Amino acid sequence: MAVVEKDEVIQGLLLDELHRCIAALSALETKLLGFPKGALNVRKKLHQTKQYTYHYLVHREGGQVVNRHIPSVELPALRKQLEERDRYRKEIRSYKRRVAYLEKLLGSQRRGRSNAHTS
Amino acid sequence: MAANAGEGAMRILRESPFPLEIRALLKTLCDVGFFERSLLIGSWVMPIYKELYGVAYTLRTLDVDFAVHVAHPRMRLRADLEQLITGIGFSSFLDAEGIQKFSAGGYEVEFIVHRRGGRAGGVRSLEEWKLNALPLPFIGILLDFAETAVLEGSQIRFPIPEAFFVHKLIVAARRLVAAKRLKDLEQCAALVPVLADGKLQEVMDSQRLGKATRKSIVVSCRTINFPLPRLGLD
Repeated sequence: MAVVEKDEVIQGLLLDELHRCIAALSALETKLLGFPKGALNVRKKLHQTKQYTYHYLVHREGGQVVNRHIPSVELPALRKQLEERDRYRKEIRSYKRRVAYLEKLLGSQRRGRSNAHTS
Repeated sequence: MAANAGEGAMRILRESPFPLEIRALLKTLCDVGFFERSLLIGSWVMPIYKELYGVAYTLRTLDVDFAVHVAHPRMRLRADLEQLITGIGFSSFLDAEGIQKFSAGGYEVEFIVHRRGGRAGGVRSLEEWKLNALPLPFIGILLDFAETAVLEGSQIRFPIPEAFFVHKLIVAARRLVAAKRLKDLEQCAALVPVLADGKLQEVMDSQRLGKATRKSIVVSCRTINFPLPRLGLD
């Protein structure tokens, strides 16, 4: 197959990949909204001879730090949700990096092609 | 139906063409019997052909597609694939059309079922695997002619090159985006040296192709200079 056609295949593949990544990124970000915000914090209190442990979900709301107490029965489910949320965040980061890379690559290809036409 | 016409001698993939995430996924699917009737399709089949048949083709996308054989629309649950796939580190999400996808390391996994005629889009719920899938036409060609290879102890099913070739000839001509059409045809051109005429004929004979579909095949064949008589067309 001719070089120009091959270039078109690669260009199309990259463009298609960019669109796919943008769509996936948007869907993953929507999904992320359903997860709890914040980080789990542990406070230990000593009362007489006994030490008590309390769990709090710390997050910001309108510039203020909010500590929400998490009862121990809710803790395993919340931990699982936070783990899952972190996995989505990691996936979103990888898509963002890929989108930036593809945009840069396609931009430079387009620039290269327009330079080739003008020279 | 010419089910599994290409099945017979099982071959071993000595070097895995897949990244870690996809290898884990293939193993998970294999362990629950997914590949007994369903198969890996899309551009990730080309590295398998490269390994088994020496097909010279290196381009691949990051989306991994599986064709799901639907035995009966109300089949009882066999395995909760959503739970299993997310359990190995994939994130599940619905795209804008409501189609379920899985993502890990930038790889996007999607399940596809055969659509009989019509233009209707939408999603197809698969109770057997607790998933939803995208219905597309001509997937039956791939499902009917499959072969198996062993990858790190897991049996992976994928279409035979002849079925993949005929399927690509059809879909290439229907593509709206020129670059995708070129990619399909480039894959077809790469497969030409390994195609067996007998199997090609078998694939063609098994399909009741309409006039428009035959025309699509003719147009694609002419673009890659593939002789029509090898497909039983003139």
